[in-house]
Amino acid sequence: MLYFEKRQSVPRYFKVIIPIISLLIGLIIGAIAVAIVGINPLDVYGGILSNAFGSWYAFSETLVAATPLILITAGLIVVFRMNVWNIGAYGQYIMGAIFSSYFALFASHGLSKPVMLAVMVISSMVGGAIWALIPTLLKIFWEVNEVITTLLLNYIALYTLKFLMYGPWKNPESYGFPLSKTFPQTAILPVLFKGTRLTVGIIFALIAVLIVWFLIKKSKFGYEVRIIGDNPLAAKYAGISVNRNIIIGMAINGALAGLAGMTEVSGIVHYLQVKIGADYGYTAIIVAWISYLDPLVTILASILFGGLASGGYSLQITMRVSYGIVGLIESITLFSLVGAQIFLNYKLRWKNGSS
Amino acid sequence: MEEIVLETRNITKIFPETIANKNISFKLKKGEIHALLGENGAGKTTLMNILYGIYMPTNGEIFINGQKVTIKSPLDAIKLGIGMIHQHFMLVETLTVLENIILGLKEYGFVINKRAVKEKLKEIEHLYSLKVEPNVKVWQTTVGEQQKIEIIKVLFRGANILILDEPTAVLTPQETQGLFKILKKMKDDGKSIIFITHKLEEVMQIADTITVLRKGEVIKTLPKDKTTKSELAQLMVGETQACDFLRKRKETNETILSIKGLIVYSDKGTKSLKGVDLDVKKGEILGIAGISGNGQKELVQTIAGLKKVAEGKIIFSGVDITNKHPRFISRLGINYIPADRLAMGVAPNLSSIDNAIMRRYYRFPLSKRGIMNHTKALAYTRMMAKAYKIKLDNPFAPIKLLSGGNMQKLILAREILENPKLLIASYPTRGLDIASTQFFRQKLIEIANKGKTIILVSEDLDEILSLSDRIAVMYEGRIVGIMDAEEADKNTIGLMMAGAKA
Repeated sequence: MLYFEKRQSVPRYFKVIIPIISLLIGLIIGAIAVAIVGINPLDVYGGILSNAFGSWYAFSETLVAATPLILITAGLIVVFRMNVWNIGAYGQYIMGAIFSSYFALFASHGLSKPVMLAVMVISSMVGGAIWALIPTLLKIFWEVNEVITTLLLNYIALYTLKFLMYGPWKNPESYGFPLSKTFPQTAILPVLFKGTRLTVGIIFALIAVLIVWFLIKKSKFGYEVRIIGDNPLAAKYAGISVNRNIIIGMAINGALAGLAGMTEVSGIVHYLQVKIGADYGYTAIIVAWISYLDPLVTILASILFGGLASGGYSLQITMRVSYGIVGLIESITLFSLVGAQIFLNYKLRWKNGSS
Repeated sequence: MEEIVLETRNITKIFPETIANKNISFKLKKGEIHALLGENGAGKTTLMNILYGIYMPTNGEIFINGQKVTIKSPLDAIKLGIGMIHQHFMLVETLTVLENIILGLKEYGFVINKRAVKEKLKEIEHLYSLKVEPNVKVWQTTVGEQQKIEIIKVLFRGANILILDEPTAVLTPQETQGLFKILKKMKDDGKSIIFITHKLEEVMQIADTITVLRKGEVIKTLPKDKTTKSELAQLMVGETQACDFLRKRKETNETILSIKGLIVYSDKGTKSLKGVDLDVKKGEILGIAGISGNGQKELVQTIAGLKKVAEGKIIFSGVDITNKHPRFISRLGINYIPADRLAMGVAPNLSSIDNAIMRRYYRFPLSKRGIMNHTKALAYTRMMAKAYKIKLDNPFAPIKLLSGGNMQKLILAREILENPKLLIASYPTRGLDIASTQFFRQKLIEIANKGKTIILVSEDLDEILSLSDRIAVMYEGRIVGIMDAEEADKNTIGLMMAGAKA
């Protein structure tokens, strides 16, 4: 008889081996699915790999996709560690984009580039934080479950964006497309390397990770977060203000998601439109999870998923493979990565049932 | 008549850190009450969990009615006629008694055939004098009634072997006697009962056969008639250790803590404290006796700032601490050892260091301008372990891996090292072995002898009587009596705990 037994302690190397094995299993299952559709899985994987990491340009595109993921995940880690489940990075990302776009579109007059960009960075963070604090206050004062409210606020954010894009902020010269005017030069994030789309956004992301790492590992706030996450009653008992820490955590989370929205519109898209990649807000949840809520690991995991996304995206163009296939591989891999975490806490044992 | 209904042969259960059971063999006869006697941590509960299919043994065999069996889940156990009454009841509070009794049974239909159930209940009531009101919700019933419901649940499923895990822990002395009557009737009806306990008196009163466990091994099985309490105690503990501590009473007439008209609501919105008045004198050990669930927990948690005061006032050394922040209260000099270590006292998955510094992590030198000093935290933890003889092999390992005694020592050390003026100790020795219990009692006396004030909450009357200077008894959210320990006797307190007027 096979059965699960709870592990008393987890060997360190498991945290490395389990994701690698589950990644491989995910890729194998993905390969089977791809083969059933009649495509050679090796071609698909080779294609993704070379489109994601095969050249400097390909790798820079991977980093472009990883930038918002790193930013959002860094914030999610803080609240997830307190068992607060913010599903609303999607909406916070959109709000960050909207807030910063407002200044780019309507208040750029006479501002120099550094000032303009600083205003956009701050406003995006404020926008994301406000969007994150609405469900937080509902949670604290009326015990409304944050999973529901953050999720619903995503739709409100999306429809606000749609309203602006089809209505007041629409570019009159866009031939009916739902997008704004192009941002002025002063509102566009500088590119780091000529010939790529990689902007200083990646530096923001790395700074964010360092700050979160420091907060979690070294600060008093991080200690309180640990206690709250493990046992809120013990936290209360130790005189830790649980609500205050959740508010701070959600504000950080929302601000970083908002900043991610800003780096995307200001660095990559250069105008506001309905499709600005807010789905990063959902992918980041899984990235945070498979990174064991460790800020440094998120960099790696984000690059991995950035690579899958950008590699898969280019695959449509180079190999004419439907993006659905790539999405399928991505989902199967994610599923296997998350599912395999059971082996971290449990071990599979065999016991002869008839004895 | 020597029919063996259950037998274990060389049962061994090894957990990664410990050997919980080692070659345990014992035999349960038909129609007997077999006591499994041992200290906490002797392996009694592990053994029962094996019999009930919650754990799989690492080695060894189980025989039911002479047949070798494998019990993989509680469902298997129930099919084999084994029923278990857990220490913590497994009832769904929002369902009715009747619904709880048939929970999981398929034969009463999708729309419950209440008549059939009630008929069977009548039968059980008739046989064992076990009466419950089937239509009330479980949360409205008392602890004693809930235990009856658990027993009926087990009988309903046709169990012939009943396992009761520390069944009297939550009962008043009077309720305990009621339980024993029921057990005797079941025994006369041919049921076999395994009675897990560490209370010698109960064993002598109810058991036919006694198996003593110590450190996971069977020390001896012996018939009740051929043993004495002191022999059993020695078998349980191994070598007897005498420990006398001398209490030097130092209380003054100065009131350090004054509580007036305290009303507190539980999370469910019912009143858990219904107007408590209490004055604690500086330097005394005040024992609070009572069956769990009569407001003791709420009282001490409210003092510590963890529950909201609806009405009334709490004054500590002249400072109004009503509804003040827990940290403000602890900074004033009130420290609290919570009743449930794992639920409140520690963050179980975090390291011993993180848990040891819980009271002072925010102060210099452990923390400076919001940044923690991990080196100092480790040094502090090591110092604490040394001073309080806490066995701490790896301070970075999750604290849940420590034994209950070591964990409790760490909590005690953490609170005492804050140098409190008032220490509230809630069930400080619950679940500890005799050595750790002695250690704790001694520490409490020591700090009281230094002039500190202690509030001691315990359900163990012997503990209260041997440590306290004064004893307050709580019943249904009120203090129903308060007396000098020298004038108190167990029987009066027992009656007061059950609601009799002083």
